[in-house]
Amino acid sequence: MDKDTSAAVPRRDGSATAGLRDHRYPAGTFAGLIGTPFVTAPTRAALTARLAKPAVTAPRFLDAGEFALLGAVCDRLLDQDGERRIDVPGAIDARLASGETDGWRYDELPDDGSAMKRGLAGFDETARAMAGRGFLELPLDDRDRVIEAVQGGHPAGRAWAALPAKRFFEDLLAAATEAYYAHPLAQEEIGYVGYADARGWQQIELGQREAREPEPVGAAL
Amino acid sequence: MSRIPYSPSEEVDAVVVGTGAGGSPLLARLAAAGLSVVALEAGRVLDPVRDFARDEEAQGFLFWNDERLSAGDDPVAFGRNNSGTGVGGSTLHYTAYTVRAQPADLRLKTDFGVAEDWPFDYEALAPYYDEVEATIGVSGPSPYPWGPARTPYPLKPLPLNGAAQLMQRGCEALGIRTSPAANAALSGSYATDGTHFRPACHNCGFCQAGCATGAKGSADVTWLPLAVAAGAEIRPECYVTGFERDGTGRITAVVYRTPRGDERQRCRAVFLCAGAIETPRLLLLNGLANGSGQVGRNFMAHTGIQVWGQFDDFVRPFKGIPGGLISEDTHRPADADFAGGYLLQSIGVMPVTYASQVARGRKLWGPQLRAHMRGYNNTAGINILGDCLPYGHNYMELSDELDARGLPKPRVHFTMGENERRMTEHADRLMQRIWEAAGARDIWSFPRNAHIIGTARMGADADGSVVDPDGKAHDVPNLYISDNSTWPSALGANPALTIMALSLRTADRFLANRGA
Ligand SMILES: Cc1cc2nc3c(=O)[nH]c(=O)nc-3n(C[C@H](O)[C@H](O)[C@H](O)COP(=O)(O)OP(=O)(O)OC[C@H]3O[C@@H](n4cnc5c(N)ncnc54)[C@H](O)[C@@H]3O)c2cc1C
Ligand code: SF4
Repeated sequence: MDKDTSAAVPRRDGSATAGLRDHRYPAGTFAGLIGTPFVTAPTRAALTARLAKPAVTAPRFLDAGEFALLGAVCDRLLDQDGERRIDVPGAIDARLASGETDGWRYDELPDDGSAMKRGLAGFDETARAMAGRGFLELPLDDRDRVIEAVQGGHPAGRAWAALPAKRFFEDLLAAATEAYYAHPLAQEEIGYVGYADARGWQQIELGQREAREPEPVGAAL
Repeated sequence: MSRIPYSPSEEVDAVVVGTGAGGSPLLARLAAAGLSVVALEAGRVLDPVRDFARDEEAQGFLFWNDERLSAGDDPVAFGRNNSGTGVGGSTLHYTAYTVRAQPADLRLKTDFGVAEDWPFDYEALAPYYDEVEATIGVSGPSPYPWGPARTPYPLKPLPLNGAAQLMQRGCEALGIRTSPAANAALSGSYATDGTHFRPACHNCGFCQAGCATGAKGSADVTWLPLAVAAGAEIRPECYVTGFERDGTGRITAVVYRTPRGDERQRCRAVFLCAGAIETPRLLLLNGLANGSGQVGRNFMAHTGIQVWGQFDDFVRPFKGIPGGLISEDTHRPADADFAGGYLLQSIGVMPVTYASQVARGRKLWGPQLRAHMRGYNNTAGINILGDCLPYGHNYMELSDELDARGLPKPRVHFTMGENERRMTEHADRLMQRIWEAAGARDIWSFPRNAHIIGTARMGADADGSVVDPDGKAHDVPNLYISDNSTWPSALGANPALTIMALSLRTADRFLANRGA
């Protein structure tokens, strides 16, 4: 597991999720564990700060329109709505504002900030070309069709002439996914308590569960 | 006797640039031989207990995040995928998988007529492998099922986690031999002469984001304390940019940036150990050691396709040493239609890393992504570590774009060749069968290329290589290179152990030449 990626083409399509385990942990799992001696001080500090961070309302890198558009796209990518969203667009804007990179980018893409601005403009153009209105004015089903067109690599719109849509989409999806699953509540949802490892793990074999790991509540099989 | 800290105006015997796998062992060796040595390291000193959170995002500071441009048909991901920084370099976040190369790995040209042979054979490395394994504390099985007879591992194998047990199950069904893998993580508390006792690994599985206990054999808890005890100085936050030379071409000083401003350290010899991108980048920026035109050429990345599956059993893939189980039955597969071969490794995974791969590899989003991730606790992987041939079309160069430090960003071209494609397909078929036999559902493959190798090739011929078999630059009398850049071929084995072994050999060759 040294690392992930090269720009791999998936060999199989990702539709076969039915019938798999669903192991979310009960709400409150994180809150119950974070203060215990099972969590080291630097871990507690990092996770508590992430949880407490208020949602960004005034973006620092994107303008207000771009930020709203990014939020709407991320909501579809991560199937989020309602009040208790994990603030994915805020995390992305903060990283762009800081100018920090993750150490590489596809040579075909411009720098992260320009790619984001062009790509967001592209989503809007594609929306207008496909449905006659901007992305934010579309019903959810149509938003998904626009996203699928971008993912497919040949969306309508001039912005995409200077921005390879497939690569941009992959980067955007990876950034959004990473920001989401770094959040303690998203980790609770997938039944992860690996942060509570100050005393290590003794039950590491197949099917074994440590006393501090709760029974999952998601029962689907 | 010790005069540390050394003054920059004092001429020290050697400056070592970079404190990762290639720089640290030789720093310890040179200091033990009584030389005055200063290591210049771009990264910070880190205190694992105080600084390391058990959280993937918070540990981002471990990685080399200066932007690199990835080109070619199979662009290589850098940053957390490949390159670290800090006192200890990429060993801070390596997963400690420390398998040896096999003798045949060093003679691809003889055996298959492709790539290059190494300028020495396995026997030249074997005693250094023994020494590295004893110094960093490698846990592994004795006897070891593959390769030539060897000294027993200093520690017994680590316990197997769920992913390792599942791979065992699948391989058993198919008649493939497996064994607990060799890992530089302690199965019991351990010390060698001159090092502190380190505790046994407690199975947290966080190796890739930094080991907070000291159980992992990273350089910061092994070679570097040895080096400091022997009188070496390690200067963190020193980013090397250039070299001063005299009329004969010898390097007389190394120039570097610090938070205090620019400095220069006078020296009699230089060991460049900045990794397989920053080393050739420094050489190209300074027009150094490139009489052969080979600097930056022959970039390689191991074939590393992963196959993931979800199981009815709970795996909880974050627990235990991530690479628990190995098979080297595929080192030279009987039905291969490619040169070289690969090893198989079971893999556990952290949630953000896995989610990111699901995004990049499968492009799942919306409800499908969320549903798939709810099966995280039932996920296990196998991957390969396969050889990669050097090609003219794979290289690194300086681009026109400047980074935050005002230096040209490196651009790295990588496109798999026919050999890598065939090996990847062979491995993909086999791993899918293993997972089916183990009872996996929703099996999916993630082709990838791992590790950064080549770019300052070692060889006897000064026209075709950058350094000689001792690691000394052909063109500069007092410049040595010791890191993943000198390898003539990629080897079918994870690199860190061999980089460390070669580092000790380079130091010994230097000391022998110096005495001569
Ligand atoms: C997540 C991950 C897991 C891995 N797992 C394994 C594994 O299980 N087994 C294995 O064998 N390998 C593994 N590797 C690979 C292994 O870590 C590297 O191959 C190895 O550390 C490379 O050694 P190096 O000496 O070439 O470079 P590095 O270890 O990267 O050291 C280079 C050092 O030079 C410093 N530097 C660079 N430029 C400058 C400059 N201009 N001035 C001063 N200092 C500079 C850097 O900060 C760094 O400290 C893994 C890598 C990653 C990313
Ligand atoms: S699994 Fe062991 S070696 Fe790895 S980080 Fe945890 S304690 Fe360290």
